[in-house]
Amino acid sequence: MELTRSPRVKALLKSRYPQLVLFVLMLAGFVFAILAGFIGTPVGSHNFSIVFVWIAWWAILILVAVPFFGRGWCAVCPIPVAGDWLQRGAVLNPAPKTPKWLGLRVPAKFRNMWMQNISFTLVALFSSVILTTPVVTSVVLAAMLFLAIGLSMVFERRAFCRYLCPVGGFIGLYAQTAPIELRIKDKNVCAKCVGKPCYNGSDLGSGCPWDVFPGGLTKNTYCGLCLECLRTCPHDNIAINARPFSADLARPSAKLDEAFKAFIMLGAALIYAYVLMGSSGAAKLAAYNVFTPAWFVYAAIFLTVIFILLPGLYWLVISITPRGRGVGVREFAIASTPLIPLGLMFWVAFSLSFVLTNATYILAALSDPLGLGWNLFGTAALAWQPLLSAFIAPAQSLALVGGLAWAARTAQKTAPQAGISSAPVISYCLAVTLLMIWLLL
Amino acid sequence: MRFNFLLFLLGLAGLVMMFAPLPVQSSPPVEREFRIEASQYAYSPGEISVNPGDTVKIHLVSTDVVHGLYVDEYGVSITADPGQTATLTFVADKPGSFRLRCNVTCGAMHPFMIGKLYVGPNLWFYRSAGLAALVILSIVFWKRSNQPTITAN
Amino acid sequence: MKRPELLTRLLITATLLGVVALPLWAWVSVLSNVEEPLIHASIAESGGWSPDVIQAKVGEPLHLKFTSDDVMHGFAVGQMEMQPVDIEPGKVSETTLTFTKPGIYTFFCTRWCGINHWRMRGTLEVSGEPTAPETVSPALYVTLGLNLDAPHLADAVPAEKPSAARGMGLLHQISNLPVDQSADYYRSHSPSQVFQDLSTSGLTDSQRWEVVAALWAQNTSPAALAEGGEIYAQNCAACHGETGSGNGVFADDLAARGEASMQAMSGSMDMSMQTPASFSDPQRMLGASPALLQGKILRGGMGTGMPMWGSIFTDEQIWNVIAYLYSFQFDYSK
Repeated sequence: MELTRSPRVKALLKSRYPQLVLFVLMLAGFVFAILAGFIGTPVGSHNFSIVFVWIAWWAILILVAVPFFGRGWCAVCPIPVAGDWLQRGAVLNPAPKTPKWLGLRVPAKFRNMWMQNISFTLVALFSSVILTTPVVTSVVLAAMLFLAIGLSMVFERRAFCRYLCPVGGFIGLYAQTAPIELRIKDKNVCAKCVGKPCYNGSDLGSGCPWDVFPGGLTKNTYCGLCLECLRTCPHDNIAINARPFSADLARPSAKLDEAFKAFIMLGAALIYAYVLMGSSGAAKLAAYNVFTPAWFVYAAIFLTVIFILLPGLYWLVISITPRGRGVGVREFAIASTPLIPLGLMFWVAFSLSFVLTNATYILAALSDPLGLGWNLFGTAALAWQPLLSAFIAPAQSLALVGGLAWAARTAQKTAPQAGISSAPVISYCLAVTLLMIWLLL
Repeated sequence: MRFNFLLFLLGLAGLVMMFAPLPVQSSPPVEREFRIEASQYAYSPGEISVNPGDTVKIHLVSTDVVHGLYVDEYGVSITADPGQTATLTFVADKPGSFRLRCNVTCGAMHPFMIGKLYVGPNLWFYRSAGLAALVILSIVFWKRSNQPTITAN
Repeated sequence: MKRPELLTRLLITATLLGVVALPLWAWVSVLSNVEEPLIHASIAESGGWSPDVIQAKVGEPLHLKFTSDDVMHGFAVGQMEMQPVDIEPGKVSETTLTFTKPGIYTFFCTRWCGINHWRMRGTLEVSGEPTAPETVSPALYVTLGLNLDAPHLADAVPAEKPSAARGMGLLHQISNLPVDQSADYYRSHSPSQVFQDLSTSGLTDSQRWEVVAALWAQNTSPAALAEGGEIYAQNCAACHGETGSGNGVFADDLAARGEASMQAMSGSMDMSMQTPASFSDPQRMLGASPALLQGKILRGGMGTGMPMWGSIFTDEQIWNVIAYLYSFQFDYSK
């Protein structure tokens, strides 16, 4: 169903101003979060930076934005906008024909998800500190902002978003399951189109900042929903469609970097469920006390689980079946597609357990964002109180079992494309789901 | 027809799995005492088990800074300073698994200071595991009855 | 440049500047507020109080605001009647104090925040005209010339906890016991010395201990014991144990970390952290006079990890704690 058929929706999306207002508001919030981490209280649960980034934003991202809008967050994310403005040399005007800065092309070696896999893993290894220490969160946020700006000046388009952002990688992966997509309406129009302004830019807007030719879009992974092509297309051939969930997964990707992204996310969710939601104090101290011997052990286990154990076991269960003997990299990547919906639901379930529990911090931090004793909205003294705790276990159960069903259906569609039976894939999904259920419930 | 009936049975089994009261062995309620040491950022023992109806008495001993202990869903809590053991008494009348959480900010990892209380069997774990198995069964079955050609492969 | 572009740029710049400048301005104004400074509390290892010196004037209300940067802390001023202020991490609490006498006060943390909790102290300098010259009398252990660091062990100990109630009966029955019922006598004698003094009384050993218990009970009251017990629970039990056995939650840590940390602090090799004293050890407690215990509490353990409490508690509070300590040895039940 084409959403842009409604003239109102289309006008709203085509106009630069609504998105710009959101960009500026987000950027203001982002800059304030960085500032709060530096000058506010070092107590994470009462500092705007931690509370708004890791409780409020994370909740919206993983529970709403990614499952329902795919890369919807990327459409309003403030991190690349400053770089965009610098590239264009303007806030509203389109980019000049010749690049203002270096405008290099990202080397082919890096044009994949591996850098994002590494950046996410790095953030994940230090997550216990980042998640709880305002000043560290601020350093990370500021580093992302300045990296994005810096890369915008060296490379063309949004090199940071596309190839480095630790968050962008998994949003892209999971966006394939979202019930929304940006696609062209008619292939023939694109084929005949002269100049391809959607990719090369025009007076109406930038050429695709995500380095994607909309005419060739078959999956959501690398489309940032920035809407520039909607503005530049001279033939009105771009549409935003509502669609069934997991539509992109029917034609799975055969790329190993994306397959590993799925394993990293699955493994990280399992490890966090044990370390952060479990009762082992030793695990928490090891994860928090970075660069101590205990942390190195934790890091080694973390890396082994996500890069060796989970993919290795997967390869093993696939290849012991008669039809799975001698599966290649391509088949392995295709066969790991069911882990995309499974991983997304793992993260939904994991996030449910701390988002609702700590939601009262949001109200307190709203009134006293820096912990300086303000009471802007009268909610500063609000005591911590878990919300809806009776609802968490059933919701997690539903998310995990639903995710398993989703993964199993996906396996039935994708396993034949990898030339293997779906039985080992489904068994693997069932096993990790049972493990996650055991860790979370 | 046969297929629809089986699907109906599976759905029914799912509902039973979700909502049926599990057979909880009824032992006469007793008072159970636990000494739980709290330190940054864990309880020791980290997990305690009681039977439904038992009176739970928790002596909370803080060994470094001020900690609290809040029982999810029961909504009861205590705070203990080092050197001042605090005691929490409540009747475990809700079955299932509940998290114990520190409710006095006790350092960086405070939001993740978590323990567990099991009142009888871990209901949601068994329900979820049962549902997971059921879901796999129905999906495999659904596939076979819809596309018999695949099974012939 | 077109007008919309220019306007948008201005608007964006203003928004971003505002979002940085406003909080920064508010932050600086909180930092530079001398009238009502925001005092940060953190564990002693990360700096304790900041600032740790506060100025005040006699008769002028002193407004103080506190916040904690890590764990739960508390604020109170030594030897002053006041409700301690809880300082919660990331939150701000306030209090107002008015001083009637000039001098140097000690403020301290009232909620245990780790093994070095007691190091979290600061000074409050109250200036003003001295009201009346006060005569400061030296502590009793000084007048008695007691050596606080020498062992004072009892020669004999009772077979079971002596009952003060039975001792009281004996005190009433027998009129000419060779003991003095005054406070001075109680404070300057250890139970074991009094037990010795009773050797000529013709009483059995257990009766003599019961008389000692009765004398000790006479020099306190249920209210005083309750106050002493409360102070003990809040300040002493974390090391000395809730039952007085020297096995508090920090006892193991003290023994383990002792040497290294104390050497680093004092630079002296012969000082080392000791395990906390056990008040349930009769040899130790019955050999100690109230004056000796007062000395130890006032002065502290000199490098043993026992803090000095002289600037924190009033004489009365310390006597009450001492009375409470003997309740680990004597049965005060009626």
